[in-house]
Amino acid sequence: MNESSREPLVLMEGIEKHFPGVYALRGCRFELFPGEIHALVGENGAGKSTLVKILTGVHPKDAGKILLRGEEMDIPNPRVAQEMGISIVFQEFNLMPHLTVAQNIFIGREPRRKGMSFFIDEEAMNQKTQELLDMLHMNINPRTKVKDLTVAKQQMVEIAKALSFNSDVLIMDEPTAALSEGEVEELFRILRKLRDQGLGIIYISHRLEELHHIADRVTVMRDGQYIGTACMEDITIDQIISMMVGREIYETLRERRTSESEVVLEVKHLWRDKDIKDVSFALRKGEILGFAGLVGAGRTEVARAIFGADPLEGGEIYIRGQRVHIKSPADAIRHGIAYLSEDRKRYGLMLGLDVASNMILPSIRDFLGVAGLVRDRKVQEMCEKYVEKLRVKTPSLVQRVKNLSGGNQQKVVIAKWLMKNCDILIFDEPTRGIDVGAKNEVYKILNELVHEGKSIIMISSELPEILRMSHRIVVMCEGRVTGEINADDATEELIMKYATTREESRSFALV
Amino acid sequence: MKWSKGVVGCLVFSVVLLFGLVGAQESYYIPMISKGFQHQFWQAVKQGAEQAAKDLGVTITFEGPETEAMVDKQIEMLQAALAKKPNAIGIAALDSKAVVPYLEKAREMGIPVVGFDSGVESDIPVTTVATNNIEAAGYAADKMAELIGGEGEVAVIVHDQTSRTGIDRRDGFVSRIKEKYPNIKIVDVQYGGGDHLKSADLAKAIIQAHPNLKGFFGANEGSAIGVLLAVRELKKEGQIVIIGYDSGKHQINAIREGIMAGAITQNPVGMGYMAVEAAVKAIKGEQLPKEIDSGFYWYDKTNIDDPKIKAVLYE
Amino acid sequence: MEVAERTRYVRREALRQVLMFGSLFILVVFFSFASPYFFTFQNIISIILATCVNGMLALGVTFVIISGGIDLSIGTVMTLSAVMSGVFITYWGLPVWLGVLGGVGTGVLCGTINGTVVSRMKLPPFIATLGMMMIAKGLSLVISGAVPIYFLNTPSFFQISMGSLLGKIIPGLDVPNAILIFIAATIIAGIVLFRTVLGRYDFAIGSNEEAARLSGLKVDQWKTVIYALCGMFVGMGGVMMASRLNSAQPALGQGYELDAIAAVVIGGTSLSGGEGSVVGTVVGALIMSTLVNGLRILSVPQEWQIVVSGIIVIAAVYMDIVRRRRG
Repeated sequence: MNESSREPLVLMEGIEKHFPGVYALRGCRFELFPGEIHALVGENGAGKSTLVKILTGVHPKDAGKILLRGEEMDIPNPRVAQEMGISIVFQEFNLMPHLTVAQNIFIGREPRRKGMSFFIDEEAMNQKTQELLDMLHMNINPRTKVKDLTVAKQQMVEIAKALSFNSDVLIMDEPTAALSEGEVEELFRILRKLRDQGLGIIYISHRLEELHHIADRVTVMRDGQYIGTACMEDITIDQIISMMVGREIYETLRERRTSESEVVLEVKHLWRDKDIKDVSFALRKGEILGFAGLVGAGRTEVARAIFGADPLEGGEIYIRGQRVHIKSPADAIRHGIAYLSEDRKRYGLMLGLDVASNMILPSIRDFLGVAGLVRDRKVQEMCEKYVEKLRVKTPSLVQRVKNLSGGNQQKVVIAKWLMKNCDILIFDEPTRGIDVGAKNEVYKILNELVHEGKSIIMISSELPEILRMSHRIVVMCEGRVTGEINADDATEELIMKYATTREESRSFALV
Repeated sequence: MKWSKGVVGCLVFSVVLLFGLVGAQESYYIPMISKGFQHQFWQAVKQGAEQAAKDLGVTITFEGPETEAMVDKQIEMLQAALAKKPNAIGIAALDSKAVVPYLEKAREMGIPVVGFDSGVESDIPVTTVATNNIEAAGYAADKMAELIGGEGEVAVIVHDQTSRTGIDRRDGFVSRIKEKYPNIKIVDVQYGGGDHLKSADLAKAIIQAHPNLKGFFGANEGSAIGVLLAVRELKKEGQIVIIGYDSGKHQINAIREGIMAGAITQNPVGMGYMAVEAAVKAIKGEQLPKEIDSGFYWYDKTNIDDPKIKAVLYE
Repeated sequence: MEVAERTRYVRREALRQVLMFGSLFILVVFFSFASPYFFTFQNIISIILATCVNGMLALGVTFVIISGGIDLSIGTVMTLSAVMSGVFITYWGLPVWLGVLGGVGTGVLCGTINGTVVSRMKLPPFIATLGMMMIAKGLSLVISGAVPIYFLNTPSFFQISMGSLLGKIIPGLDVPNAILIFIAATIIAGIVLFRTVLGRYDFAIGSNEEAARLSGLKVDQWKTVIYALCGMFVGMGGVMMASRLNSAQPALGQGYELDAIAAVVIGGTSLSGGEGSVVGTVVGALIMSTLVNGLRILSVPQEWQIVVSGIIVIAAVYMDIVRRRRG
């Protein structure tokens, strides 16, 4: 597909970039041929986004050169990059939900009516959009409002918008983060078509598993440096990971439970008309109960309902054999249940507040002294203890949480619940958005927690994670529990079988 | 659910209340549209108008916008009043030009218009009942000159720089001083919006800036009380001659105590009375002079208990 | 690295404080040089006294703004509180302390209603408090009959703001009580905001309401408490104003809310919530009244003073944005 005789579309060599106090990039190199999908991987902070920002003109480079189709170019700002045919689709979309697809694609450069340039020619705009979408084999109506599209279709609109500038370099930043498996397959189909039309695609992703399905080559970065490039056929995921972390990955395994322990949480016949259908299961002390299933199987809904974040329409919840009524998160917390959302930034953290304020929030009333005043010194000692225990990397307790990495943010959330003495912890996608090294840290912490006698429900869409960590696995599909498997008997195939039970067989190419 | 029921209940209640207020009426109906209703001055005008209505056996309504800046709101009120086809209409125009087209409509409908408090730039109103503010403020200037001995620094706080009364009182005072008393210097003219507190803080700053200040004129009730407060808080009682405008308990008491030298009072009750009286005469086709002076009075410690003065003061 | 980070944080906070106090300081120095009458004991007292009422409203609304809300009713609720204390003291003849309590209670009640409408009925705070603004204004006029209520028979009421406890203890130091009350209120507000659960929850709700709920906070209840607390400061402001004027003026108050919000914003509290400080608010209010007083002393036309205040609001917020971007 990409013979070395052909001229590269993009060639970046010896790229250097300093930010005050740090080297963001040192001697970086990247090469993209027309008609290839080139994955760019590395841990958070490895320099991927800086490299891409230099290519798209967001940051100026300090040294090195960029060749576009063999010619050395200077890219001072994003507009120039776009004119040169370099487009980027960000993880977070820049679409206006209340405008139509066509209006979004042509925003700022709408075709005008002849003779009356004050008016927009909607017809011409819709027609042009239709042509563009047809060319990309996207089945979307230009007149639909963006808010009525699925996330996947919205992403396609972003791609169409990017390509409407006649780009031949397309950069995709974490495109599959928000997509379900079926949607991912659809995206890949389109990316492959674009590749076959001769586009060069730079593909940035944390989901290493998917690289074999989509990428032709992979470039690995670490600590702002270029580590290496390989054809996907010649390399395994494990090899990529060790290039990324610079060491062999430490395989964390679950702690073996010795004997059957008491049941700490039992739910019976949970019900909510739309999305929770007769869910029953039990959680034992000191175990990790994995919750597997496809996206949308109802796992998050069940977790939120047990936590009192959303109402239930039926069912019973027992804590250590006692029937409890949970009407709000406050109730759940009083019974020692904590829920750690997959979307930490929205549901778990006060990003603008500091580490200590975040950690102490649920338990602050345990630290009151004279006249109801908060005993700051006590709070500080406690927070320091947990920062140490969970190995949170933060310069200080007054650091704002938004400046921490994903893994450390997750640790702050964990600390918050441990300080409240919660012993039933529901983790929803505990390692989402966390880079490889930090994932291992999180696994280690989970193991330590169950070792201390805490009980954990772990919802995860990553099967290897579920298989590696859980003692038992509950599988859900369409709001129902479709299977319960002991860890020793679990295989990916078995989980997938349950996860797709009583459902039209859906394409599931990943994992 | 519970809430929404409550809200619906409230709505129904207020609609019923509104219908109740807009009762049907017989006899002559004269809507009076004032410049406001919150200030005591307007309450006094209203009182006079209501007295006249009772004496003459006519029905009036008395309304005005919330602040004296709401020219548009007053016009809406005027439109609404016209739509009810009244026998005559009374208006204290906030903007002397903006109301003219609506008054023309009144003329077409054969509804006589009586102006009160301030005039309209048109010959439509059969008469205008008003205080001659320029003359009254000029009189205040004469009194000020007399009390400070014809020389020295004085300052003025006015309620605002855009309304007719504000402009007239300011100009009446300032031009009289300039014409007749060359040794008196007006050091500052400021606008406090008629807000007691803001006027007080302004007046304090002025007094601080001009330690030789001998006199202070507050051109309406709020301004005058502001000045009074400033002088009190700075403990300058007796050192600065204060002249006020209109009445109200604070001014009356201050005059009795001698902290305030005196004040100009309009005749709001009389104004309201005369306006309604004039409207009734106009309905009956009687001839009226173009302007009716409702008069002003100077009052101080010496004549404050005079029954004639007492009648025009409000507390 | 760690030490560097920490000093950078400290420096950032210091910069913020310096910017704020610095602006006030520059204003004071400027006016002092421009006029010999500015920097006198009497005039400084005048400035602080002029800050008191606006400052009280600003302290109250700081709590609401930190929680991510807004309260537009503070101006007219202040008036209603003043009117109610007038009704209690002058019309009903209740003891002064009871009347004061009633006035403050009126503020708390209005705040509680605001909070309930916002948290339980889920009205946007802007709308809910806009409604309360009109209700309070109307009620003030209805209850007072649109005439001022005077406190002439209860001279002790006037002493609340304008007496001078300090002057009695240290002769010559005639600082009106209003200023002492304001300072005390500032200290209380500071303690509540930074040292109590309510304050911490205030920040938490303002920074991420949903996350706060999922952390077990009874967000609805706390919001109601926050609005009620705001109402308390507003009620105190109302009583102070009535005391200074020795009368409750039912027609005043509208527009005061915007001055108070401007003071909060100048003080570096973000209107999007989750950030703010009591000291900032007080400095913001002081900057505004210093400006009014100083320009007055220089006899700058008043129309221009309004323009300058507007520029200060924009400049202050812009400086804050710049500071944040760098941080």
